[in-house]
Amino acid sequence: MIAPLCRRGAAAVALLAGLACGPAMAADRAALPPYSFAYEPQGVDERGMWMMADEDERILRTSSFVIRDEELNAYVRGVLCRTVGEDRCRNVRVYVMRIPQFNATMYANGMMTVWSGLLLRVQNEAELGAVLGHEFGHFEKRHSLNGFKNKRSVSDVLAWLGMVGPNAGLSASLAGYVYSFSRAQETEADLIGIQYLASSAYPSAAAPKVWSRLMAEQDATAAGRKRKVRHSYAAGFFASHPTEAAREAYLSREAAKYADAGDPGAEAYRKGIAKWLPQLLDDQIKLNDFGGSEYLLDQLAASGGSADVTFARAELYSQRGNPRDYVTAAELYREAIAKGCDRPEARRGLGLALLRTQQSDEGKQALRSYLEFRPDAPDGPMIKSLVGN
Amino acid sequence: MKPITLIIAAALAAAPAYAGNSLIPAGRTVQVAKSAMAVTPGSEWNKLGRRPGTNGEIWTLDGDKLNRVTFYGGIAQDTTLFREVDRKNSPLPRFSQTMLLTDVPKLLENSYRVALGSALFTIDQMEPARFGGVDGIRFTYSFVAGNQEVQSKGEARAAIVKGRLYMISYEAPALHFFEKNVAQFRQIADSATF
Amino acid sequence: MRKTRLLAAAMACGISLSLLSAPALAQEKTGVKAGFVMPAGGTRIVLMRPSVRVGAQSTGGLFEPNADWTAQARENLDAAIRKAQGQLGHQVTPYEDGTGAADSLSNQYRGLFTSLADSVREFQFFPGNRLPTKKRKDSFEWTIGPEAKNLPGLENADYVLFITTEDHYGSAGRKALQIFAALGGVGITSGVHLGYAGLVDVRTGELVWLNADQQMGGDVRTTEGAEKRVSQLLEGFPGSTIRSASAQ
Repeated sequence: MIAPLCRRGAAAVALLAGLACGPAMAADRAALPPYSFAYEPQGVDERGMWMMADEDERILRTSSFVIRDEELNAYVRGVLCRTVGEDRCRNVRVYVMRIPQFNATMYANGMMTVWSGLLLRVQNEAELGAVLGHEFGHFEKRHSLNGFKNKRSVSDVLAWLGMVGPNAGLSASLAGYVYSFSRAQETEADLIGIQYLASSAYPSAAAPKVWSRLMAEQDATAAGRKRKVRHSYAAGFFASHPTEAAREAYLSREAAKYADAGDPGAEAYRKGIAKWLPQLLDDQIKLNDFGGSEYLLDQLAASGGSADVTFARAELYSQRGNPRDYVTAAELYREAIAKGCDRPEARRGLGLALLRTQQSDEGKQALRSYLEFRPDAPDGPMIKSLVGN
Repeated sequence: MKPITLIIAAALAAAPAYAGNSLIPAGRTVQVAKSAMAVTPGSEWNKLGRRPGTNGEIWTLDGDKLNRVTFYGGIAQDTTLFREVDRKNSPLPRFSQTMLLTDVPKLLENSYRVALGSALFTIDQMEPARFGGVDGIRFTYSFVAGNQEVQSKGEARAAIVKGRLYMISYEAPALHFFEKNVAQFRQIADSATF
Repeated sequence: MRKTRLLAAAMACGISLSLLSAPALAQEKTGVKAGFVMPAGGTRIVLMRPSVRVGAQSTGGLFEPNADWTAQARENLDAAIRKAQGQLGHQVTPYEDGTGAADSLSNQYRGLFTSLADSVREFQFFPGNRLPTKKRKDSFEWTIGPEAKNLPGLENADYVLFITTEDHYGSAGRKALQIFAALGGVGITSGVHLGYAGLVDVRTGELVWLNADQQMGGDVRTTEGAEKRVSQLLEGFPGSTIRSASAQ
């Protein structure tokens, strides 16, 4: 689990000694400990986790939220396998979910979910590998099991304390213990995640970049909502994850230590998700988060953004709908069309933006061209009524 | 009233307030959503005691998860369609007087995406339709609420009158329920006056 | 109004209202379609995969899933359901999960059943919150629609039985806390035991019977307990002579 909003999935693999099947490492690469799997959960707690996870997977298999595109699934899985190694990824089942937030989860039984919002926020295969490797790290280290046992004993203590009377100081320090334990787990998963990356063909320097951009995005969201930009540079007691700042810092240190080179796979990544990019963008700009969305679009544009990105920005401005936004939106729609955006909706958007900037004739012309491009448009009758005869 | 009486009155009011579902009889014209909007249903409905927002009202036949008619009675400039649960972290989009009728489906879509925590929302069709005696829009949509697996369908009519948004929507699971009551909803929408 | 909203929130979250067991909130738990009579013997009932979750509730209230208990409970419940139905001369077969489209459709129906059962509980079983149109006579008119008969796997079935149970057993620590709390006049429940059982007529899609209970008895981890639970879940099952062993 990566983001604070995530539900804790379960990670548990019994590590039995002596079943080494790790690949030989290149001399200049970080050495990973040998990996072994024993797919029999041990003890009541662990078997319980597996049972829940199996039931979750049964539900997930038919869920409407799973993106059923074999090509995309194979691609994401491929990145995981190239990061952690074929032997490690063999028994992982990857499900790409249509959820526009930055997250991925790993469950006790080898089920991994990758959220579509994550795919929009990484810029290359190495960054995706860094996040998926982090998740796999929880799995390999059996974190959910340890975290669960620990949470149980501490929440028992808290319940008793609640009975005796409010003793804020004591309770808070115990709560701090629970959450800092899970923070330690997150850090451990981060460190093993970057180790996978260092031992793969991807450069480990990609890992901290994910976090620095996530921080900047959160700042942009806050600014867009006219909230105080307040990045906490020290994790509070109740934060179950290290702050992004701390993460970025120690991951940068680790990457400098490994000092491994490699192609992060930016071009391959763009190709890998190209088919889904319009959908990912559309889901993002409909989240009513102007600042965060604009930041993401800036990032995508800086790394060689396509006409899809320009179109999404045009939509973002016309959705905000301040009078000046329509002027900007109209320019952006024109730019997208010039860049080769062949979605009829670009003409629709242009037309509607122009109508609102008192350029009625040009607006109607754009809308007519939309209807020509898309005679069966679902909003055809509505647009016709705006164009007039 | 003395304070103590107030407390008792509040306590007495508390329980029945939730249980404030009431019968909407057939054939009688009723004001809805604390607004100037009025409808004359051809069949009887239940009005739920709880409201989605200040300018909202819900009618149902079998419970709002199975069939739900929502009235939006004059959403004003810079206000949300319904109550915001987490204004700080998940603010809802707001209605603006600069909106054209073609923007209304997107306002509903984006509000639902945030409120239901689901990217599975699609506008299916939209067309001009008279609503409450003025030019308005009729549109259809489908969605799945987050953490649920029930595919739902929706249909709505809307119009913007004197800078305020008036809308009536109908939503139900795609399996069986949508078709079952959609005609009753359309009759209500046809009967609307402002 | 604050209390009202809290109540609404609790209902929305499916939190047990038995915590607030004031007489005004007393809840009915069984409904039968007026005039419904179960045909005697030979009825073919398909049992949708019951959703069964069993674990312990530690002192702090966390749910600890327990696979051994869950597996045991599932086995016990399956056996108990068959035994209970066998006694009536009904033929009970589990729903066969198919692949792809059929699976997804059966998932939709499971979801629809839960929405339906939730609605019955919220708007029929709570007398104070009953929908005025549902108040008349012995009205119990609920359906998932006649289209349900098109669900692959139901071709030869007369009825579909949906079952959901979730159990959180109180740990020894929580039981001790409960006693301690009682002395101080603070209410703490030990364990959550909720369940739905609903019978749907395949030909019409009508819910002919529903049992919805948020405080069920019977320790599903044991054979006797599972039988007690099933007898409680199936209490009032149309045409049955099954009586609840004792309501907790």
